[in-house]
Amino acid sequence: MAEKRPDAGRRYRRVALFGGVYNNYLALGELVRECRASQVDAIFCLGDMGGFGPHPDRSFPLLRSGEIRSIAGNYDLSLAQGNEDCGCGYTDPADNHFARISYDYTFRNTSRENKEWLGTLPSRLSFGLGPLKVRLCHGSPRQVNEFLWDSTSPDHLLSGFLDSAGADVLCCTHTGLKWHRELPGQKHFFNVGVIGRPENDGRTNVWYTVLEYDGRGFRYEFRPLRYDHRRLAREMRAEGLPEEFVETARTGWWTTCLEIMPSRERRSGKF
Amino acid sequence: MAAAPPSLPLQHLDTLWFQVSGTLCNLRCSHCFISCAPDNHTLELMEAPRIFRYLDDARRMGVKEVYFTGGEPFIHRSFLAILECALRDFPVSVLTNGVLIDEAKADRLRRIADGSRFSLEIRISIDDYEEARNDAIRGKGTFRKALDAYKLLYDRGFLPILTVTEMRDYLTPQGGERDLHGRYVKLLRSVGVDRPRIKVIPIFEMGMLPAPAGQRSVTPEMLRELDPDALQCSSSRIVAHDGVYACPILVGEPEARLADDLEGGLRDCSLYHSSCHTCYVTGMTCKNF
Ligand code: SF4
Ligand code: SF4
Repeated sequence: MAEKRPDAGRRYRRVALFGGVYNNYLALGELVRECRASQVDAIFCLGDMGGFGPHPDRSFPLLRSGEIRSIAGNYDLSLAQGNEDCGCGYTDPADNHFARISYDYTFRNTSRENKEWLGTLPSRLSFGLGPLKVRLCHGSPRQVNEFLWDSTSPDHLLSGFLDSAGADVLCCTHTGLKWHRELPGQKHFFNVGVIGRPENDGRTNVWYTVLEYDGRGFRYEFRPLRYDHRRLAREMRAEGLPEEFVETARTGWWTTCLEIMPSRERRSGKF
Repeated sequence: MAAAPPSLPLQHLDTLWFQVSGTLCNLRCSHCFISCAPDNHTLELMEAPRIFRYLDDARRMGVKEVYFTGGEPFIHRSFLAILECALRDFPVSVLTNGVLIDEAKADRLRRIADGSRFSLEIRISIDDYEEARNDAIRGKGTFRKALDAYKLLYDRGFLPILTVTEMRDYLTPQGGERDLHGRYVKLLRSVGVDRPRIKVIPIFEMGMLPAPAGQRSVTPEMLRELDPDALQCSSSRIVAHDGVYACPILVGEPEARLADDLEGGLRDCSLYHSSCHTCYVTGMTCKNF
């Protein structure tokens, strides 16, 4: 079965992309419903299925249904390899404290079979969008857990990534915040955002990205996705996950993983 | 016979440091690892046009971020112009003792930061959470001035990073502080900062501090088991007025000097110094995170 490189050589007209499911199976369900309704040709997940939310195994039926093409994030590699930690690349003790709690929870509650499936995911993927070549990776093309924030990613670095990938459009995730930059030569870089956790802007929705190529050329849209965040918060609490995480789901403000954020991004948050 | 020290290849030049004010500083801290002082001309101020040329090279080579350190960057008369130029293309971090940051300078920094799409991070150093102990190391009045600078910037929307060394543990190992981080959080909250950012760095026994008894060094065996990413010299270099050095810790050390230009500075660096052992043990990076 050609599951490893399902999309090499395929051409699409409209695709949906997202990262960071973070066990948020409720948002994942909504996303798939929306994508069906808006008739996208394909759905891509850029990795990090676990962390943050409750009931890890509940995301896998959809992830493994064949409707979504996925690549592996650092979290997925760690779970598949039975690693001690999530490999997110935090360096601050406070960030690591919370990362540890959700990793241990996710590790305990992900079935062996699902972990094995994570181990089969490719680390990158390419496909055609109209005449454009799109490349997907998790952190950056060179490092699965590289943080690419808008305020710390210079144009020349991103152009270099696009050149070495031979791509017109490069998409990543990992940080949890979406952004886009148009680069010289009509190239585009995207951080497609995550559907597992809101964006640290005081709103409870999450985000995904739609790319499109039609007669009018290339277009993109960041789409807000609503889901039953109150239910997620209830289930997180019932599972004994930290109140800090529950608060993020309830309010849309990040309470953890703050130390790794550059000041520009952190300033627009509350904590 | 001791084996030759191992050397480490550069994976990719991500982080470029500038020893912008050389070893010249308005302070004379008793632990400064490169012995900076108002009259230490070992490394001179870097001329602005030279820095601009290095920045051009850095852009070409895909460097991800730029740091300015010294000495004290703000004693350089063209520093704000240099900063503005670097911020056009790079996220930038500045390491300062804060003494020269007054209201007018804080306002200028705000305008410069707002003029760029990239982050400007400012790091302010102190060495103890008690005024008297800090001032004994760094000089009278430096504690207040550093905290004032932090607050001036914070009130203008910056989120500065307070950089603290483990001096207290070094000076009184028996009475070591268990929750150093927490102490500094408390200190910053006490001056009205509700989003404190703190970086703790280990002590490097060089410069103004006596070299450690019994030389410890990195051996080839140690290196074999190590993820090279754990050492900052696998992805960074520093330029000073007289060329490119392996890292900010060994800047000015003749054996750590790699080349005149950035291209030449990409070659392997030797982990010959006892400080390399400190890096190996602590996994420290001079970067913000
Ligand atoms: S530690 Fe910093 S502030 Fe103190 S003398 Fe050295 S360079 Fe100057
Ligand atoms: S002191 Fe540390 S960063 Fe510098 S060369 Fe030695 S190991 Fe590398």
